[in-house]
Amino acid sequence: MIDTWNLLLGGFGTALQPMNLMWAFVGCALGTAIGVLPGIGPALTVAMLLPVTAKVDPAGALIMLCGIYYGAAYGGSTTSILMNTPGESSSIMTALEGNAMAKNGRAGPALATSAIGSFIAGTIGVVLLTLFAPLVADLALKFGPAEFFSLMVLAFVTVSSVLGASMLRGMVSLAMGLAIGLVGMDSIAGIPRYTAGVPELIDGIEFVLVAVGLFAVGEALYMVLYDPKGADAPRNTLTSVMMTKEDWKRSWPAWLRGTAIGFPFGSVPAGGAEIPTFLSYSAERKLSKYPKEFSGEGGKGAIEGVAGPEAANNATAAGALVPLLTLGIPTSATAAILIAAFQNYNIQPGPLLFQTSGPLVWGLIASLYVGNVMLLVLNLPLVGMWARLLTIPKPQLYAGILVFASIGVYGMRQSAFDLVLMYVIGVIGVIMRRFDFPVAPVIVGMILGPMSEKQLRNALSIAQGDWLIFFKQPIACTFMVATIAVMFVPIILRKRGIRLSEDD
Amino acid sequence: MQKRWQIGIAVFVLMLATVFAVGASQLQSDPGYAGIGAAFVPGVVSIFLGIVGALLMWQALTGGFRNFTDELIGVAADNRGALWVTSGILLMAALITKIGFVLAATLLFTCVARGFGSKTWLRDVITGALVVFPVFWLFTLVLDVNLPRLFGDWL
Repeated sequence: MIDTWNLLLGGFGTALQPMNLMWAFVGCALGTAIGVLPGIGPALTVAMLLPVTAKVDPAGALIMLCGIYYGAAYGGSTTSILMNTPGESSSIMTALEGNAMAKNGRAGPALATSAIGSFIAGTIGVVLLTLFAPLVADLALKFGPAEFFSLMVLAFVTVSSVLGASMLRGMVSLAMGLAIGLVGMDSIAGIPRYTAGVPELIDGIEFVLVAVGLFAVGEALYMVLYDPKGADAPRNTLTSVMMTKEDWKRSWPAWLRGTAIGFPFGSVPAGGAEIPTFLSYSAERKLSKYPKEFSGEGGKGAIEGVAGPEAANNATAAGALVPLLTLGIPTSATAAILIAAFQNYNIQPGPLLFQTSGPLVWGLIASLYVGNVMLLVLNLPLVGMWARLLTIPKPQLYAGILVFASIGVYGMRQSAFDLVLMYVIGVIGVIMRRFDFPVAPVIVGMILGPMSEKQLRNALSIAQGDWLIFFKQPIACTFMVATIAVMFVPIILRKRGIRLSEDD
Repeated sequence: MQKRWQIGIAVFVLMLATVFAVGASQLQSDPGYAGIGAAFVPGVVSIFLGIVGALLMWQALTGGFRNFTDELIGVAADNRGALWVTSGILLMAALITKIGFVLAATLLFTCVARGFGSKTWLRDVITGALVVFPVFWLFTLVLDVNLPRLFGDWL
């Protein structure tokens, strides 16, 4: 306990260095902008910025990338409250209730309760991360390859089956991601696979290329094909962000409940923030003393319905950092790309991370405390500035997105061919979106696939080829059983009429 | 139309499965203590692709993808817009090393804006240049990312 405290203090020493403060600020500001802007998500932004930050020192770059990740969870609420077009699926609940409030002249308090709720949930989330991450890392030190492999299988299956309308289409996406991940040198024996003699392919297909192609080019092409003018949603007017005493009284418990729901969901591979925001919303609706105010009842919008889901959303973002840092297991596409970002700097997230890169990890965690304060300031007094981003017309918005996308891809290895490849992957992205194939499993499969193959082969080497090893060891067996159980989750959800879609 | 596309997607996945299966069969590696070598996981992935591809095909042939409602029935795709965006990206790829990043990216900006229905192309060129210039300087001069120049350090 005292150890953790000292390490965290050391982390603040790193995080408060002027350069790192600057990177944290850049990350938070970018993240907020991305959260506000429709069409780009945190996964894409982190991917685009990776090649660009290649020359920045690892601590600064990772602090910035985590700032983006955190900031994006804040910014989404602004769009959903002012425009009723949720930027990402985890803001759907906020859009529902917040937009009803905004229509009735209460946009300000809705924005305030989501910003403050995000701050409280984000901060509690980081406190929990501080306390739990070292414990989980200690526990994970006992994991061998068999445990890691079964945990990765669990992550694959949840990411591809829980979200999206069809488990089959999720599995198709996962299979494609795994196939892409196979291209290049195999990690154990160093044998080139599927390179077709092209030397560039020995290093594998760059995930930056795939992510930018699927998310940026795919999105732009989809929009230009099917929605070029865009039915510009009517914008609600921004009002004073002051909350009344009553607002505070009703927001508090919702914030705390949202945090309690969000954090655990983030820390298991349940596929992002959508389920916890949904659960938080229905909890608030059931517990509220003013059920008539909820938009579903035709009311003017209940503040709890904004406060809870927004808190849950941010707590999930913090919770997802636990498996990411301690186990190296991503729970969403953004998390998968963050893991790849760590690897770019030759840092392998996992139980050893706290020992090998202690100062860096604690600097990162400390910067999240700092980032939360920055984000509160950015999102509350300055919310009007971000709201103006919503006035950028579509042609210029998408033109700008594609310019940045091309810098990211071209800057990676100065290859014009990569730009063509990016376009081709973008076309595949349009088809996937058109036919409702989730994109996240492609990214997760591509990044986690090679890691899991390594664990599988190591596990079998240790067990001398005994496949039952995954069921003989209690921890590995638990993960395998959980994997099988998870496959039934979508069936149960669908029976109850709940349809989930992916995030990022 | 719908059905043909869905069958096409299933065929694509099955083709991918075949390509990966053939590739896996040509890999040779020592299985070692693990009992599996470098060809094992590729083989599993190709079988996985084959199974999901076959299931997709079955769904496509028997009433279409499940749990899928086409939200775009009757929406005419704006192919001209897509052509503008496509040209923008491919022109940039073709010209970036010849005319430098700044001009190529400005061209991309203008083409994409045109694709999304902007009619004020002169304004788009200027906006594009105003976006691209500072970004170019930030990346090349501050972040040390190597982008093609037309001449000198500034363009």
